[in-house]
Amino acid sequence: MKHISFRIFFMMILVLSATTLWAESYHIKQMTPEVEAALESRRERYDQLSRLKASGAVGENNRGYVVAFSDAAAGVVSLENQDRRIIYSTIAQQNNLGGALETIEKVFAQVQRDKAQPGEKVQMDNGNWTP
Amino acid sequence: MKVNIFYNPFTIAAGLLCIVASGCTVKAVGDPNRPITIEHHITIDVRGLKDTATNIEDFVSGDKSKEDLINKKGEGK
Repeated sequence: MKHISFRIFFMMILVLSATTLWAESYHIKQMTPEVEAALESRRERYDQLSRLKASGAVGENNRGYVVAFSDAAAGVVSLENQDRRIIYSTIAQQNNLGGALETIEKVFAQVQRDKAQPGEKVQMDNGNWTP
Repeated sequence: MKVNIFYNPFTIAAGLLCIVASGCTVKAVGDPNRPITIEHHITIDVRGLKDTATNIEDFVSGDKSKEDLINKKGEGK
């Protein structure tokens, strides 16, 4: 009986190892006009948003969206978040991750934190803003 | 020697691993190097998703081309 248990244990270890090592990749499988427009808009807005981030008028929250800390930045922030939402939803839809939008948003937030320049406002997982 | 399988540590460990492997609910974003299960039928490889997110943000910042964003097998577009 002990041998059977050990075999089950060993097989489960193998299954879990294989799952861990298997790197799933997710893509924008179909570049729809909507997502293409969102990507291009974000690209065109990038320099303006970077300046606002450097000035402290805009920060990255822990949900994958930008937050305005001044009224002057509110318009840009609204447009940026609209485009981000389209991109996140498209990834979820095209990769059968319909129930995982929140996770997708949080992964993007993590990437934004990794790419943030020193001094830019970012919200950590615990909700605190830095700096 | 008589062995009670219900109190056998290997059986307990195997049982726990079965539960994990068959799916459970995890709410937080976990270790980026380990897959997490959101619902019993949706498993996300956070590392793969992070690569995708990085590619998209690199495109937005002008560091990558649009071709890097779509399926490498040529699907789409």
